[in-house]
This record gives sequence, structure tokens and C-alpha cells, in this order.
Amino acid sequence: MAPPSASHYPAGLSLCGAYLGARPLLWASWSPVPTAQGKERSCGAELLLPLRCYILGQCLAKEGFPWLISAFPLARERQRKMEERRAYSQHGVLSHLETLEARAHELALKQEETEQQEEKLARLKARVQELRLQRDELRAKVDLQQKRLLGKEGVMTSGVPDAAQPSDRAVLEWKIKTVQAMLQVFYLTGISGKLTKRGVCFCVSTAYEGTYLDSYYVDLIIKPAVQIHRHSVPVFIPLEQLAKKYLQTDIKRFLSVLSDHLNAYVGRRYQADQLQEHFSDHLEGTLQRNSLCNVLAFNYNVSGKKETFLFSAKLLYGDLCRSLPTEAIISCTPDAPASLSEKTAAHSDVFRRVALHKAFNSFSSAEESLDQAP
Amino acid sequence: MENSIYQVYEDEIQSLEEEIKILTEKYEDGQQESTFFSDEEILMSIKSFQREFQGESKGRESPSDLKAQLEGLETDLSFLMKFTGIWLTSHSKKTVEKTGSRTIQRHRLSGNCHSLPFQLEFQLLEIKNKESVSAVITDLNIIMESGEYSSVSKFVSSTEEHGNLLQFFRSLSSYAEWYEHRRCTFLHFKNHRMVEVGRDLWRSSSPTLLLKQSPLEHIAQDRIQARYPDIVKLPEGLLGDYIVLRNPKLSGFELMIVWKIHIDEEGRAAPVLDLLTKVPEQVLEQKIATVENAPTCFRSMLLLFGIETAVENLIKVVGLKK
Repeated sequence: MAPPSASHYPAGLSLCGAYLGARPLLWASWSPVPTAQGKERSCGAELLLPLRCYILGQCLAKEGFPWLISAFPLARERQRKMEERRAYSQHGVLSHLETLEARAHELALKQEETEQQEEKLARLKARVQELRLQRDELRAKVDLQQKRLLGKEGVMTSGVPDAAQPSDRAVLEWKIKTVQAMLQVFYLTGISGKLTKRGVCFCVSTAYEGTYLDSYYVDLIIKPAVQIHRHSVPVFIPLEQLAKKYLQTDIKRFLSVLSDHLNAYVGRRYQADQLQEHFSDHLEGTLQRNSLCNVLAFNYNVSGKKETFLFSAKLLYGDLCRSLPTEAIISCTPDAPASLSEKTAAHSDVFRRVALHKAFNSFSSAEESLDQAP
Repeated sequence: MENSIYQVYEDEIQSLEEEIKILTEKYEDGQQESTFFSDEEILMSIKSFQREFQGESKGRESPSDLKAQLEGLETDLSFLMKFTGIWLTSHSKKTVEKTGSRTIQRHRLSGNCHSLPFQLEFQLLEIKNKESVSAVITDLNIIMESGEYSSVSKFVSSTEEHGNLLQFFRSLSSYAEWYEHRRCTFLHFKNHRMVEVGRDLWRSSSPTLLLKQSPLEHIAQDRIQARYPDIVKLPEGLLGDYIVLRNPKLSGFELMIVWKIHIDEEGRAAPVLDLLTKVPEQVLEQKIATVENAPTCFRSMLLLFGIETAVENLIKVVGLKK
């Protein structure tokens, strides 16, 4: 029987020995069984250590193992198998020893694993307890605070009897947060900014009817003359012209006019987006627009009781500071009935007065009223 | 198999940590929004904080850092208020709802825009998505003393309807500038004082078709020597919207210049001036062309020379100056 090769055994067991035929000369070097902590911990391995010499010496003893085997309950099942092989020479004994070593090693690992798992579980449990406690404390704190606030609506002075005197740091931090909140309000007014080392960085915010949209930055340098250092204004807004006209004489005026342009552009874009989103069933084909959103072309349908009428619209926004078109050219298909031409005039009027995404509402209501008329 | 047990615990830990975070934020917001410290208290705290802190170095920011941060923020704020003309006198906010990505806050704001006071209340809904934060104003309430300025009250109600806070501030700004300019101009003619503020505002206000700077105006201003308090009357005071020119030597003859500031639907403020003549009945019967054409001529004069010179010329006419 050939000696079992090292690859059959778990790491840590390297069998370098030579069968010299003389059993006592058999050496087996075992590197320590590696564990997670890098220490030899398995009791099985420890047990085996002093036994090695004994076993080696007794390697011929065919009956040298029963007590050893009984120490490892897992190995008991193998005893039967082992006994079958008792008839074999020292090869069987050695391989059995190796198997036992492997077993012990496995057991050691498993034991460690179990211990680790238990430890981890204990840690998780402790953490959950800790967090639960913290959460309950916070809940109580917040409830108390809410009750206090409901009892005393609005502003409290710092001399509240049941609260601890706030620290100086807390007072300072409170003030900082208050000022930051006010600066945030300025964002809502349309023109806000921050002083920089070389000038000011203004932020122009845009909105359409309560919905705040993009904001644009203009970084100005004050010296030697007022000039734009950097900006995030899109190219189709005539920034250079405005700067040339107003920047040197009146910065506020410059920002105000720029804000008009930007708000109008953003408003037009928003209306077109809303039209595409909410009235896609009325639109035939795609809505065509340019980047400044001051020329829009689209085909739309208005359904009456009997049939659907097709129109094509071209909207021109001549005034770049307004979000309503100056011209609305509506046309219908060449073979359409004459009555439609009246409608085109009415539609054109609606487009010029009402926001684009609200125009269609008035069309459908107009149709309904027309249908109801005798 | 053991993994599922861990998973249960780990899930609970995660949800607890999130809950703690939300509760902490809620508590801090509540504290922030319900306390108030006066400026003296803040100054005292700054001083005592700096004294206490000497020698200690903690992980947190030192008092000088905090003080510097506060000063930087206050400088920015006062610059903005001075630049835009919007002086916020008080601001309070209350967090009404705060879930993972949605925050609803109720704001109360009061202040002055140039000299016009306003009070606002609104709700701000902020939704955080991956790239950005979207903000929507709902439930906007504006209180402004509009009194007889019907264009202001109409504008205010349409702004409230659409929740158009941004447009409110932009329009209020331009309206307030015109308002201030009008007041200064009236004051100038009443007292014959070179009001610097008025002149600068005038030069910098929006050049609509009615205003045109011409060299004539400069000369006219520089040459004003006479006083006109006896000719110029402001029945409604400096904040009214008309001015009456009357020569005590000529009774029964009056010129009334009405100067209203109109706000259109897009929120732009523009002055609207008109001339009204009051003549004795005999003159009316004669149907003198000059009197009938006066309002039209006044409008052309406004287009050519601007407000101040046109009014100046009328005053000279009434004062019978050569």
C-alpha cells in the first residue's frame, strides 16, 4: 500500500517520512493545526501530541487504538472499518492516524466556528438591545418636546424651566443655522449669492408658477472693472450683450434683466415639457423646438363629438423675456371644412393668452360647449 | 442556515439605526425651530465660549472657527439684503412633515422691500431624488398694504393663486423701485432739494419707453434755482400717486399729473402717467385747443424728455416763468 499523499490531508499535516521498514524510524512532522486565531486550540490535536510518540512506538500494536477511538465519538463509526483493516500492516495504522488527525482538525475548526457564531450572535443581540434603548429614549424625548411645543405655540425663550441651560456652543450653532435658513430664503426670492475674495458669486434661481427649476451662477470680479469670471448660463442666452449694456453701470439691473431672460426661457421649456408629458394623446408626432424654446412647432388634434380635427401650430416667442408667444400660426389640413378656419383664429388667440400646457384644457372645454350648442 | 438568523438581526439593526437618525433629526429640528436667542444672548455666548475654550482642543470646531463661520454668513446676508433691497426682518420655519425623501416646511417671513412692508406665509415641499432636490411652493399667503393701489392687490391675488413666490419678489422689487423713485421725485419738486437717491434711482431704473436720458435733463436740473412749494401741492402726500400744480395768481386753473405704477400679468412694473386739466367753465366753452391737446402733448413730452423734465416744464408753465 502506497503511503497516502499529502494532498489527501488537510493543511497542517505534512507527512514526511520514509518507510524504512523499521517502524520506530518513521517520522511524521506535523505542522501545528492552523486555527482562525493562529493558535493550536483543538483539544483533539492536543490530546494527540503526547500520544504521537506512544502510538509510533506502538505502531505495530494491532489493538493499540480502542481507548483512543472511544475518546472520539465521531470516530467510533470508523472503528468498525478500522477493525476490518487490522489485518493490514503499519500502513493501515498510519493512515488511520492521519485520518484521526484530520478528524480532530475538522472538529477543532467546527468548534471554533460555533464559538465565533455564538459570539457574533451575542454581539448582534447586544447591539440590537443598545439601539432599541437609544431609540426608545429618543422617542420619549421627541414626544415630550412635541407636547411642550403644542402647549406653547410658536417661540420660546431660552429660559425654559424644564430644559437644561443650553451651552454657549449650542447657542452659537443655533444662530448659525438661523442665518443659513435666511440665506436659503433668499434663494427663493430669485437672486442670492455669496461674497468671494475677488468679488461676488451670484445665483439666479428660476421658477415657473411655484415650481423651482434650474439655478444659474454668475461669478463676478470687482477689480479692476466689473467683469464676469465664470458663469453657468447657457450659450443661447445673450449674456455678453447684457453684460456690455448693464454690467458696468448697474449690476442689479444686469442681474434683473438676466433673471428675466432665464426665467422666461425656463418657463417656456417647462410648458413644452408639460405639454409633451400630459397631453401626448393630443399631439401628433413630435414637438419640435429649438434650444432657446422660442420657436415651437407641433401638430395636434382636438376631438369634437363627431370627429377629430387636425391642426398644425407654430408658436413664435418674439419677446425673449416673456413666456407667452407673440405669434401663434395655426393651420389645418387643406381639405378641412371652412368652419375650422374660425377655430384656428380662436386657437391662435388662446395660445397667445394662456400657458401652453393649459391651452388644451380650454380647447376641450370649448369643444364641449360648442357641441352642446344647438 | 445561520445566515438567516444574522440577516434578521442585521435588518433590525439597520432599521433601528434609520429610525434613530430620523428621530434625532426631528428632535434637532424641533429644538432649532422652537428656541430663540436674542442678539445680546448670542454675543454673550460667543464671549464666554471663547474664554472657556482656551487651551482645550476637541475634535469639534473651535469657537474661533464657529465665530468666523457666523461672521461670514452674516456678511453675506447683509450684503444680499442691501444689494437686492429686500430686508428680511423675521423668518421662522416649522417642519411639518419629514420622511425619507420628502420634507414639508411651513415658513413665515416678514420684511420690507425698499420701503414697502410685506408678510408672507407659505409651505415648501422638497423632494430629494438622485440628482437634485425639487422644491414646490404651496399654500402661499401674502399680506401687503395695497390700499388704493388696485394693481398691487390684483397682482398679489394672482400670485397667491399660482404660488408664484419668485415672481412676487421680482415684481415687488421693481414696483418698490418705481415707488421710491416717484416719492423722491415728488419730494424734489416739493422742496427743491437735490435728492441724490432719487437721481441715482432714476438713472438706474428700467429704461422703458417713457424715460429717456437726454442732456437737456441734466441742464434743467442744474439750473433749478427757484423754489416751487407754493405751486406744487401733494394732496395725498409723498406716497400718493398724483401731484397738483396750481399758481396762486391764477385761480381756477389746475394741472393734475397722475403717476400710477402698473404691474402686468408677467409681473413687470411700469409707470403710467397722465395729465388732467382743470379750467374754469368759460375757458371750457371756448374749446381752446391747447387745453384739449394738453394730455397728448404731455405724453409726447414724456417720451421725449423723460418724467422729471416734463414735470419741470409744466411747473414752469404754471409758474409763468420765461
